[in-house]
Amino acid sequence: QEVDMESQAQGIRTVFSNPKDFNVKHPLYSAWTLWFDSPSTKGRNLPQTPMTAVPPTPVPQTPGAAAAAQGWMEDIKQVITFDSVEEFWGLYNNIVPPSQLPQRANYYLFKEGIIPAWEDEANKNGGKWSIQLPREKNRGNVDKWWLNTMLDAIGEQFDPHFEEPAPHSLVTGVIVSTRPQFYRISVWTRLAPGSDDTEKLRERTEVIGKHFKMKVLGFAEAQKLAGPLATEVEFISHKDSEKKGKGGKKIVI
Amino acid sequence: SSTNRSGIPPPLPSALATARHIQDLGQVSYPEGVASPRPDLNMNARDGKFRYDRDFLLQFMKVCVEKPDNLPNLEAIGLEPVDQNAMTRGGSGR
Repeated sequence: QEVDMESQAQGIRTVFSNPKDFNVKHPLYSAWTLWFDSPSTKGRNLPQTPMTAVPPTPVPQTPGAAAAAQGWMEDIKQVITFDSVEEFWGLYNNIVPPSQLPQRANYYLFKEGIIPAWEDEANKNGGKWSIQLPREKNRGNVDKWWLNTMLDAIGEQFDPHFEEPAPHSLVTGVIVSTRPQFYRISVWTRLAPGSDDTEKLRERTEVIGKHFKMKVLGFAEAQKLAGPLATEVEFISHKDSEKKGKGGKKIVI
Repeated sequence: SSTNRSGIPPPLPSALATARHIQDLGQVSYPEGVASPRPDLNMNARDGKFRYDRDFLLQFMKVCVEKPDNLPNLEAIGLEPVDQNAMTRGGSGR
């Protein structure tokens, strides 16, 4: 096995030179937290005791974002937080891929400190790029798409202008959802182009959408994807999503 | 959580848990056949925060197979693979 002399001289051992006894790991730009929910997480708490095994009493819904997010987050479980390439793969190689998840499950991979809810400070002015594709035809594709989505999120590949103006990407998290008839993959952003902002944010948002469609999912730029159970790659702000059918405007690429 | 269901003392932390973060990617060289991260992604890197291209990241897939020490018991949070064969054989189960 060839090990570079310089690294060896400095006592740096990566996982490539010694998979069992490496002493450095590759830090990610941000730490990330994986969350999960499915029908079987409902009412589950850790550690599970007879007291918590019964579904919790519903909390009275008080107005306000925090209460709304709390209701939404009740059944979503934190799996793990990681901040290095090596830990990401350790997780990836020991967890269930989307194609093997139950029919109504979600993985949420978000930057540490951002909860996967519209109400979070980092998400409330944002939106999401998403695509929905039929389950039967795509069971063989969804794992690769989800892996590419995660890799380009943790590697900060979606948003090339991520240092302007703040030292962080527009991307806050990515989600894969399994449903009986389809899969959906989403990329959430911190900001959403509105009527009053510059063309710049719209362009930057579209760069993310195009990267998602072409580099992550592997479609051609002009390829039409909509069909039965399928959508185009489209962006909608969370504020417009909340209006539910009230005709929020979408960006379609 | 440090609770241990079986009562057996936890094993020593893994290399995965104890390895230190690389501060300067320029200090690291890789064995022959392993590509470095694309240098243009980290020209202005600060504070040991790096961006990585997908091809670089994919090289770790077959190497980093060990389960992280802090990964919870997945069954306890309802995260279990469905048995695809059972589903196709047994229909909806109703």
